[in-house]
Amino acid sequence: MDVFLQVIVNGLMLAGVYIGISIGLTLIFGVIKIVNFAHGEFLMIGLYATYLLTTYSGLSVVQAIVPVMLLLFVLGYAMQRVVIQPLLNAPHHMQIFATVGVSTFLMNLALLVFGADVHRTEVPNALQTISVGGINIVISQLITLVVAVSLAIVLHLFQSRTMVGMSIRAVAQNRKSAALMGINVKRVYAITFGLGCACLGLVATLIASQYPVFPTVGTYFVLFAFVIVVLGGLGNVTGAIYASIIIAIVDSLAGYYISLALKEVICFCIFILILIFKPTGLVGKESGA
Amino acid sequence: MSIQHSISRRSLALIIAAVILMLAPVLAGSNYFLHIAVLVCVFGGLATAWNIVGGYAGQISLGHAVFYGIGSYTAVIMMLRFELSPWFGMLVGMVISGIAAVVVSWPTFRLKGPFFSLVTIAFLEVVRLLAIHDQDLMGGSSGLTIPLNIGFEWMVFREKEYSYALALFFLLLTLGVAWLIRRHKMGFYLLAIREREDAARAIGINLVSTRIRAMVISAMLTSMIGSFYAMYLTFIDPDATFSLAISIQIAMFALIGGLGTVFGPVIGALIVLPVAELMRGWLSTYANGIHGAVYGLVLVIAVLKFPRGIVGGLATLTCNEKARIQSLLASHANKGFLQDTLPAQVSDGKVILEADGLVKRFGGLIATNHVSLQLKQGEILGLIGPNGAGKTTLFNLLSGFLKPNSGVIRLMSEDGEAVNVVSPTQCARLGVGRTFQIAQPFAGLSVLENIMLGAFLHTSDVRAAEQIALDVARVTGMENQLDKPASELTVGGMKRLEVARTLATRPRILLLDEVMAGLSPTDIDQAIALIRQIRDAGVSVLMIEHQMRATMALCDRIIVIDAGAVLMEGTPDEVVNNERVIEAYLGSGYKNAA
Repeated sequence: MDVFLQVIVNGLMLAGVYIGISIGLTLIFGVIKIVNFAHGEFLMIGLYATYLLTTYSGLSVVQAIVPVMLLLFVLGYAMQRVVIQPLLNAPHHMQIFATVGVSTFLMNLALLVFGADVHRTEVPNALQTISVGGINIVISQLITLVVAVSLAIVLHLFQSRTMVGMSIRAVAQNRKSAALMGINVKRVYAITFGLGCACLGLVATLIASQYPVFPTVGTYFVLFAFVIVVLGGLGNVTGAIYASIIIAIVDSLAGYYISLALKEVICFCIFILILIFKPTGLVGKESGA
Repeated sequence: MSIQHSISRRSLALIIAAVILMLAPVLAGSNYFLHIAVLVCVFGGLATAWNIVGGYAGQISLGHAVFYGIGSYTAVIMMLRFELSPWFGMLVGMVISGIAAVVVSWPTFRLKGPFFSLVTIAFLEVVRLLAIHDQDLMGGSSGLTIPLNIGFEWMVFREKEYSYALALFFLLLTLGVAWLIRRHKMGFYLLAIREREDAARAIGINLVSTRIRAMVISAMLTSMIGSFYAMYLTFIDPDATFSLAISIQIAMFALIGGLGTVFGPVIGALIVLPVAELMRGWLSTYANGIHGAVYGLVLVIAVLKFPRGIVGGLATLTCNEKARIQSLLASHANKGFLQDTLPAQVSDGKVILEADGLVKRFGGLIATNHVSLQLKQGEILGLIGPNGAGKTTLFNLLSGFLKPNSGVIRLMSEDGEAVNVVSPTQCARLGVGRTFQIAQPFAGLSVLENIMLGAFLHTSDVRAAEQIALDVARVTGMENQLDKPASELTVGGMKRLEVARTLATRPRILLLDEVMAGLSPTDIDQAIALIRQIRDAGVSVLMIEHQMRATMALCDRIIVIDAGAVLMEGTPDEVVNNERVIEAYLGSGYKNAA
């Protein structure tokens, strides 16, 4: 029983990572209605940036948060302006090709610049654990979970309380009507994309101590992010949080009780089944079908 | 005559150029050059096979390496375990891939663009992880090495020329299949589904089976090339075989060459692959990943700047099609489509389409409220009512696009049997043709091809479909626009195309949804004459129309719908003089004017 509880808690802790990664993707999909296949590569950039900043310029991980988030905001803003904006009315397949192209480019650029080696961001005491009633909790994982949930709450408040946030929601509801109300849709889209990527920047600094970075690290995470975004109802932040918890616990259980090597297989099979049988996800209105 | 002549000279020149290109690697006598030539053949072939699904059908599969990997692994495993020739393994692999294609595409056919891509990626990942996990049969992550049996039966040769010849053979085979599909009914159907699913269903195309067939053919060809390439590489492992990067590369070549064109994918591979390979050869010691970065960059630039690809871009510059259509028209004898081609029917006043107690709810809104109606053979029945009354919903129910919450729709088949309506495809096949209120042309195709698509309901022969399309174009006055892309038509032209495409399906029942909205008075006169001719040929017509002049002139009976329910039914005169109709729809101005 203790083992079972420990596995569940491990899953909950893992959920922090998944919430963090999928929240930006959810935001981007919910507003711009585009599936960004390069999402994982932005996380990869965030991880490299954290690694470089902490290793070579002596910043602590906490101090790296702001510069990394800024960097990713700018990159996301630019990607929306240069690549996505011209394709907003293009057929689906052109949007797929464009973001897949960006993904391929960034991944190989990282290979070119950093090589295939695995780099690890060293954070003192990162893997320290506390024990609560016989259950071990890794402190950095706990912090990740808390920050990721707070990020979701802040994002929600931002969207419901601020002018920019409300215009994002307006554009998400109806692009044309929002434009008629005098909202600069292009700017809102670019800000949204930037924000979605900035979320990844925050997550990257949080998980840098737990996950090493290498050029294809994004591919590993991005599929999980997609699983969660779809399960969470495509563009629904609350749904994404539930979905993150479900997937993380399934992941944790499958890893312990079935096989560490097959836990991803199980998650992806769930993904396939969801897309086939309930493409609207758990709580969503948007549909993949 | 001169056109025919110049076409054959052009294709002769192209064939000679292609032969020289194919011989060049052999003549050059360099093994490196030959190696690149093999790569171009393999990836050109893979891209061509991918294009059948990704280009023709518009389903961007990013997991095609699954089939490539199945081909590779099956051939190698059969060889290692049973010492069977890879030729045999290739066939077994193709069968397995075909089955896998059904498993992937059957449940996912309704997924939209990026979600289909995601599912294919997920399938690929699952298979890759399982392959890594499986030590016994597939050798796990360390992969499998092919024993060095040399000879034709083992597909392994000492001289690279032979490998190249074989690669070229598989490429040409794949190209042949892709070419045949594009030139036949199936190719037209795939393009139609890609352009507009609803319109495709309305002309009787079965989306699921057409897509599955395309996927199966594409998967089998991909698998075949995978088997060959495994023998060429003499080593396979899960990461390099079930690889997302390879799936993306294949799709990229097709995009750069021209999605949906026959030769585009090969040309894309021919242009991009050697450059990237040479760069890898020169720079790899300094710059790992350079060719991947170039691929990514080229992909983004291609999407932004040349979305139609090399071949697609060139095709718009040639005026071959226009000249061909002109000569077709000139040699085409007017057969009198309406009298001769439409199914001959006796206008005996029997009920041919009947709705009984139809109810359709959307959430709390009752869009159709216990509507019953009967359409008799050879009559023109009008359906009028204010905006939002539920006319189009009723149409969607009658043509199988929506399922009623209760009530039944019965259709008299050609043999006189009553059949319940269940799907748009079935409806079209039983002889119901419908147009859409908001025109739904297959925008990327020419007007001729649009009309031909309708004709394919009753013929599989391209020439025959072309003849029917020419007949219909004459009748509907579209002869001069046949070579135009449908997207370039005016609103009126698109409405006319809707009617033409539907007529080409040779319907017994025609459902017309506001075909006269937005037409000029002269066009309306023509349309009235056309609809009358269609009826006189024995077709029963049900039309939604706001254009009262046309409604009054054409209809034998009129049904007025208001707020989802039938308000009244009667002759045109009864309807326009009815107080309730005037109040609900026509307005008192109409009464005073009349």
